[in-house]
Amino acid sequence: MTNDILKVGDQELGSRLFLGTGKFSSTQAMIEAVKASGTELVTVALRRFNRDQAEDDLYGPLSLLENVKLMPNTSGAMNAKEAVRAAMLGRELSKSRIVKLEIHPNPHHLLPDAIETFEAAIELVKQDFLVLPYIPADPVLAKRLEDIGCAAVMPLGAAIGTGKGLSTAEMIKIIVRDASVPVVVDAGLRSPSEAAAAMEMGCDAVLVNSAVAAAENPAAMGAAFKTGTEAGRMAFEAGLMPTSEIAVASSPLTSFLSASDD
Amino acid sequence: MKLTVNGEAHVHEGNGTIAALLEELGANPAHTALMVNGDVIPSEGWKNTTLNENDEVEMLVFVGGG
Repeated sequence: MTNDILKVGDQELGSRLFLGTGKFSSTQAMIEAVKASGTELVTVALRRFNRDQAEDDLYGPLSLLENVKLMPNTSGAMNAKEAVRAAMLGRELSKSRIVKLEIHPNPHHLLPDAIETFEAAIELVKQDFLVLPYIPADPVLAKRLEDIGCAAVMPLGAAIGTGKGLSTAEMIKIIVRDASVPVVVDAGLRSPSEAAAAMEMGCDAVLVNSAVAAAENPAAMGAAFKTGTEAGRMAFEAGLMPTSEIAVASSPLTSFLSASDD
Repeated sequence: MKLTVNGEAHVHEGNGTIAALLEELGANPAHTALMVNGDVIPSEGWKNTTLNENDEVEMLVFVGGG
């Protein structure tokens, strides 16, 4: 898979697995999982500086990783204005145009606010960001975000942290069919087979966090997601066989076994 | 100088620049993004930007997130 390059705007990525850095038991566990996953794009969040929690500052550990880009998110933003501000702050640190735009004001379900996300995307594109919006699996919204210049769209598989998998599969298939920008399934995935399934549908990448961070062995799960994502991509490129309503024999149905009864 | 830093009252005793405030609070400038009264201030300007009484300063760092 070394020649399979994903282009997001002007960025080229050698891995179709994006990894979140939240919820890990330690920075060391996170770094090991990032390495094992082969990811080249990790998300980070912004939080107020606290001298007593200096160990939570990931800038140092992440900047030591080779070939891994940082994608700041806008988590915590309740509306478009706050998201734009968070993106600008993130860019100051990442020194990169890439931003994961996420606005989910309701802590109960953490589902994206499509209207605020759309408004923020317009402003961020204007400010030359490469915008990757986290969105409901809504084909109309995905197309509208593409039309205004988003570099990719990131429909959810299920609510953040639920591990309920590709519950939006039918809508994601429509998004993939219509999209001219990369489609990244973000949130909800639990197992590498779900990452493979998303890739087999023609998604361009998957973004996982909890599935790896909350695994018993995060590094091993990172490696498993790497394999699952690659297998799904390979299968998509190989072209899956068509389905059939009736059986289609794989072996010749000749009648030589009963020939001597005649 | 009385400031509000990350939502809490803070009395700054340095020369009043953003750079001096970061040093006073023990923040690594290379790891910090900053807003004053809601405006993002790029790090290039921190040595020459002087804070004013009652300014609201937000200092942010990267932490884990999905």
